Amino acid sequence: MKDFSIPLSKKNKHSWQGAVAFVVVAAALAGAIYTFFYLRYDPTLTNMGGRLQGMSMEHPLGTDHLGRDVLTRLFLGGQQTIGYSFLALLAALMIGVPFGLVSGYKRGWVDRMFMRIADGFLAFPDTIVAIVLSGLLGPGIGNLVLAIVMVKWVSYARLVRSSVLSESQKEYVLIARTNGLSSKKIMVKHLFPHIAGHVLVLASLDLGKIILLISSLSYIGLGAQPPTPEWGAMLNDSRPYFQSMPSLMIYPGLAIVIVVLLTNMMGDYLRDRFDVKKEVQS
Amino acid sequence: MILSVEQLTIITREKQLVKNVSLAIREGEWFALVGQSGSGKSVLSQAIGQMLAPNLKAEGKITFQKKDLLALSKKEMRTVRGGKIAYIFQDYQGSFTPFRTIGQHLDEYQKAHGVHSIKTRLAQTKEALDSVGLNESVADQYPFQLSGGQLQRVSIAMALLLSPDLLIADEITTALDSVSGHRILELLAKRQKETGCAILFITHDWRHVRRCADRIAVMKEGEMIESGGKHRILDHPQHHYTKQLIEAAPILGRGLPSGLQEAGNR
Repeated sequence: MKDFSIPLSKKNKHSWQGAVAFVVVAAALAGAIYTFFYLRYDPTLTNMGGRLQGMSMEHPLGTDHLGRDVLTRLFLGGQQTIGYSFLALLAALMIGVPFGLVSGYKRGWVDRMFMRIADGFLAFPDTIVAIVLSGLLGPGIGNLVLAIVMVKWVSYARLVRSSVLSESQKEYVLIARTNGLSSKKIMVKHLFPHIAGHVLVLASLDLGKIILLISSLSYIGLGAQPPTPEWGAMLNDSRPYFQSMPSLMIYPGLAIVIVVLLTNMMGDYLRDRFDVKKEVQS
Repeated sequence: MILSVEQLTIITREKQLVKNVSLAIREGEWFALVGQSGSGKSVLSQAIGQMLAPNLKAEGKITFQKKDLLALSKKEMRTVRGGKIAYIFQDYQGSFTPFRTIGQHLDEYQKAHGVHSIKTRLAQTKEALDSVGLNESVADQYPFQLSGGQLQRVSIAMALLLSPDLLIADEITTALDSVSGHRILELLAKRQKETGCAILFITHDWRHVRRCADRIAVMKEGEMIESGGKHRILDHPQHHYTKQLIEAAPILGRGLPSGLQEAGNR
């Protein structure tokens, strides 16, 4: 009996991708946190004398149309974009997961009511909700996050619900109930760990989408307002200077592309690790 | 009477799964409920512990130790379940949460029923595993590391942990091979003698019924068609269907067709 090994690690030829993605995302996060504590330049301080400069020792990535240091703004923008994306994701999880757990476990009329609510939210595309919310509450990144949470939590609720629906039919849940455990305990300790893997995969795949959404809505002016450094807003700012100084658009654009790509790689890696089909095959 | 079910009907929207079934179980007896698949045995047993799926509705009266179970609140029912009524199911693989050790299962169960001292819990866990012939090291193992027979032993240990008055065993040997099933049955009989709990034994296997049961009830398509003492049912079945069932069962060993001697020889 001693020789049973728990099949935790599965050899995967793409695992280096995941590892790389994790490292770079961690590095980006660390960079964003670092700039929070240490800033060489004020990201909003304008210096009209030194506007639209190229690369130099003082300004490694040059300055923008108001003479602000691009590298500083890029780091701070990352902090904004990634930070708010995580915030939105976390909030969506905090609402969606308990919602789905209760809905799937209780079933009956609770489920029907909860799911109709979710369907109601699902009826509106995220862009529309964001535009309506910023129209009602005024543009700003806080309202944007609210809009994203309102749209995104539904997919978690649905995912968790469907997993719980099938899991709660299994006998270990029945046994837990016959043993007199409370519903809360069964949901938190017996059901949630089962679905945590699926939720994690969906969340990591969603992170890229949310980053893109925040950036794109900031680009059209619904999210972060100037002078806040945010990648989408920075893209928008530098639009008029596209022909004279394309690098101003390239840096934030590249930053968005890389981060989204990496989060997707990370998501794929996690999906492979938690792949249900593979579990069955092995 | 420890449990009496009176005129119990279980319905879905479309049809009746159990129709006007009545039965009574005495203290410390082994009551076998026999019937083929889909005859409503399991649903009936789930109704006793109020474990029915939300789309099923039970009507009638279930009295357990002078309390009407169908009238109890959810909270009161939780203390009855596990404390007074315990269950063992057929699917030993699915009976345990895969990522929790056997020890954690037993521990959590005791905690839920107000055993607060960790020392007591550990001692009881060890004792329970011991009583079903398992080493205490099993407590640190995960369910998938154990064999089917071992898991079903753990199920018995868990079910009897808080010395319930009624144990509902739903086809517990069906998923096991016949040797393991036989051992589990003997273990259950032994533990019943030691603890004195009543057992509602649901099965479709006449060999088990012959061996252990005190009284037998036969169900068909949601109705109870015959019930009575073991000898009465096995040797003088009244109902046509019961006769068919008994004749259809494979006979092993020697003795009367009913297998009475076989049980005595043991």
